[in-house]
Amino acid sequence: MFNWDNKNVIKSLLLIGLFGFSQAGLTKDTGYYGYGKSATQEEIAAWDIDVRPDGKGLPVGSGSVSYGEELYEAKCALCHGAFGEGEGRWPKLAGGFDTLTDAKPEKTVGSYWPYASTLWDYIHRAMPFTAPQSLSVDETYALTAYVLYLNDIIDDEDFVLSKDNFTEIEMPNKDGFFVDPRPDVKNPACMENCKDPATIKVTSAIKGITPLQHIAKEEGANDKASSDSEDQQPKSADQVAVDNELKVGSAIYSQSCSICHGSGIAGAPKFGDKMAWAPRIKQGVEQLNKHAIEGYSGKTGIMPAKGGNPSLTDAEVSAAILYMIENSQ
Amino acid sequence: MSEDSTQSRRQFLQKTALGGAFAGSFSLPILANADKLELPDNLPHWMRVPGADFSNYGQPSSHEQQIIRWISANPDALGNGVSWTPLHALQGTITPNGLHFERHHNGVPQIDPTQHILLIDGLVDRPLSFDVKSLMRYPMVSRTCFIECGGNSNSGWRSNPIQSQAGYAHGLVSNAEWTGIPLKLLLEEAGIKPSAKWVIAEGADAAALNISIPIEKLLDDALLALYQNGERLRPENGYPMRLVLPGWEGVLNVKWLRQLRLSEQPAMTRDETSQYTDLLADGKARQFSFINEAKSLITTPSLGMMLPDNPGIYQISGLAWSGRGKIARVEISTDGGDSWVDAELQGPILDKAFTRFNLAWKWQGEYAILQSRATDDSGYVQPTREALITNRGKHGFFHYNAIISWEITEEGDINHVYGF
Ligand code: HEC
Ligand code: HEC
Repeated sequence: MFNWDNKNVIKSLLLIGLFGFSQAGLTKDTGYYGYGKSATQEEIAAWDIDVRPDGKGLPVGSGSVSYGEELYEAKCALCHGAFGEGEGRWPKLAGGFDTLTDAKPEKTVGSYWPYASTLWDYIHRAMPFTAPQSLSVDETYALTAYVLYLNDIIDDEDFVLSKDNFTEIEMPNKDGFFVDPRPDVKNPACMENCKDPATIKVTSAIKGITPLQHIAKEEGANDKASSDSEDQQPKSADQVAVDNELKVGSAIYSQSCSICHGSGIAGAPKFGDKMAWAPRIKQGVEQLNKHAIEGYSGKTGIMPAKGGNPSLTDAEVSAAILYMIENSQ
Repeated sequence: MSEDSTQSRRQFLQKTALGGAFAGSFSLPILANADKLELPDNLPHWMRVPGADFSNYGQPSSHEQQIIRWISANPDALGNGVSWTPLHALQGTITPNGLHFERHHNGVPQIDPTQHILLIDGLVDRPLSFDVKSLMRYPMVSRTCFIECGGNSNSGWRSNPIQSQAGYAHGLVSNAEWTGIPLKLLLEEAGIKPSAKWVIAEGADAAALNISIPIEKLLDDALLALYQNGERLRPENGYPMRLVLPGWEGVLNVKWLRQLRLSEQPAMTRDETSQYTDLLADGKARQFSFINEAKSLITTPSLGMMLPDNPGIYQISGLAWSGRGKIARVEISTDGGDSWVDAELQGPILDKAFTRFNLAWKWQGEYAILQSRATDDSGYVQPTREALITNRGKHGFFHYNAIISWEITEEGDINHVYGF
């Protein structure tokens, strides 16, 4: 760890050895070392974009729900859905009320976010995703008002949100957070005879393989994983996702892959041939995806990138692989 | 576990010293043909021709090109996602710069260092701005530590164990030597007002990622890092400057840092409310879970590998780390947690850094479940998955640090399972 005595050593080196002037002479109005510059008012103003729960940082301005709706349809609906329901892999912005204790909780601005200021701050700095920091102050007020309206937090279509009334907005989940008191989970660290071997339970994956889930469920996908992680009766959410994937995969396979993999020509592992597929599956889904997407030359032949069809997306190729694997083991 | 199935490394080495190589099967033919090796015919061709030229910046061998970060990004927004460090393919404790994990919210900004400014403002006596050149003049220190994303291992919350290689499920953690300026020194340049309790850090990326950090952490061991493993930061790791908060979750180690604003309260940004908070079963959520709690992972043998000889002696090896301090102990179980033995810790054991552990294991073809359990010097013990889920429910999504289990089948295949 950094040793604070260093500073004193340096101080005395400078004082005794090099310059010999007093400490007061060294302390500049930009600090002890003083290599920085005094920040100008313009710099501070340009960097000042944080907005806090107490309203600090909100600029003067306003925007109505109806103006927000117009903007939202033009700039946001494409990804977040007309009602904030989230298209495809994009985050959902509305709904999910009273689901936080459910088997499939839905965390949205309305159901989960504790402060409206966070919404203003985030839209202003980070959205729309492809053109961040392009929204004006008034546009940001209008969009914030509209997202709150989609969440029934504002219910009047004529409402105008402004710097003056902003802090009156109360979010439904404002009391939903507490400072993590970790450590919370204990382990007695038993060394011998810790459990009755007969009661040791092992949970294995369905069919030993769970491809694509991995990609579909990393955190960037707005927590889809946490809601999907729940087992459902009779079909788990995981299984539904796999089924959808298989449908896509089957179509891609017959169109772009069966020409080689259907008959096993040119050294392609044949569809349904368990022996041929077992060692390949063993390499893991990542490796199979990589080989099929980027193409490679292996021991038995050449697998062209995406089967020679560059218009396929990576996800489509992965779906075709899943379909091939599911039917070859 | 009995003495003869799990041996110390030394015993293992003594027993195999005569064989001379780790895998006995291919060591013998070489010994038998020892004379032949002298003959020119057996000289490899790279000894008969001059080698390749010098290079300005060295690259890994062309035979190692499969050792990559695994990218999982949103296919419709390629800059939003993560890439995982292939921990299963690496040894030692330092992560090479090109393999350090990434988490970007909206891509890697291509920053011109001559245009980049760091502003320190808010509750300070004198707001200061620094360009890169001026920062290079400050006294710097180096420290080795891990950085772990709060979302690392999050597939563990799912009901089915994911079948990905060790690094591709648990590799949103990497370990590097960071060199830079102690933040305490820079904050003192600006003069800290007594009312300042939090610092809001902001990055210069397209997400303008902002997050609140208690000022005590910055006054303790935090760095403004300019160098990573001896060279300037890589763009994907924050070039030209980033925060390094040893032992605290990744998102707080703001990359491309452009502002530190001292404040009396946290800003309650999106990434400390909507994200990186743990939703519990009762509907309440933990917030400000700064510390990465102790965790360990067996990197070999692990999924994607096989045990080729039965019976055979295998080196169990892995990594352990804790955001609270040093790793004090790592134990291994091969029977699903019924019995445990201590692994050997490889020094130097550094504070809030990867520690490698090793243990030789004699496998006799039995079904086995390999697990590792880390304890740090605060006495915290890595929990079982059962205990973690019991405490936090199934929707925590972040901050998963439970014991990881590899199933070894009688055929020597390896699967990821939840075993308890
Ligand atoms: C090109 C697609 C796209 C467009 C258009 C877009 N967004 Fe987003 N939005 C995203 C992505 C991707 C994220 C998640 C970013 C992350 O995880 O860091 C996101 C996140 C958000 C979030 C945070 C969600 C959460 O639960 O944390 C809000 C709020 C939001 N966007 C609002 C908007 C608004 C308002 C607009 C229109 C001005 C907009 N977005 C336009 C892609 C988009
Ligand atoms: C022109 C023939 C051809 C087409 C079309 C083709 N493949 Fe292949 N593929 C091969 C060959 C040959 C191999 C075996 C290469 C080897 O291992 O030597 C292979 C291997 C594979 C493997 C195994 C990779 C591994 O690491 O073992 C996968 C997965 C795969 N292909 C997926 C696909 C998908 C998905 C498509 C369709 C989008 C497709 N292939 C289309 C010829 C083809």
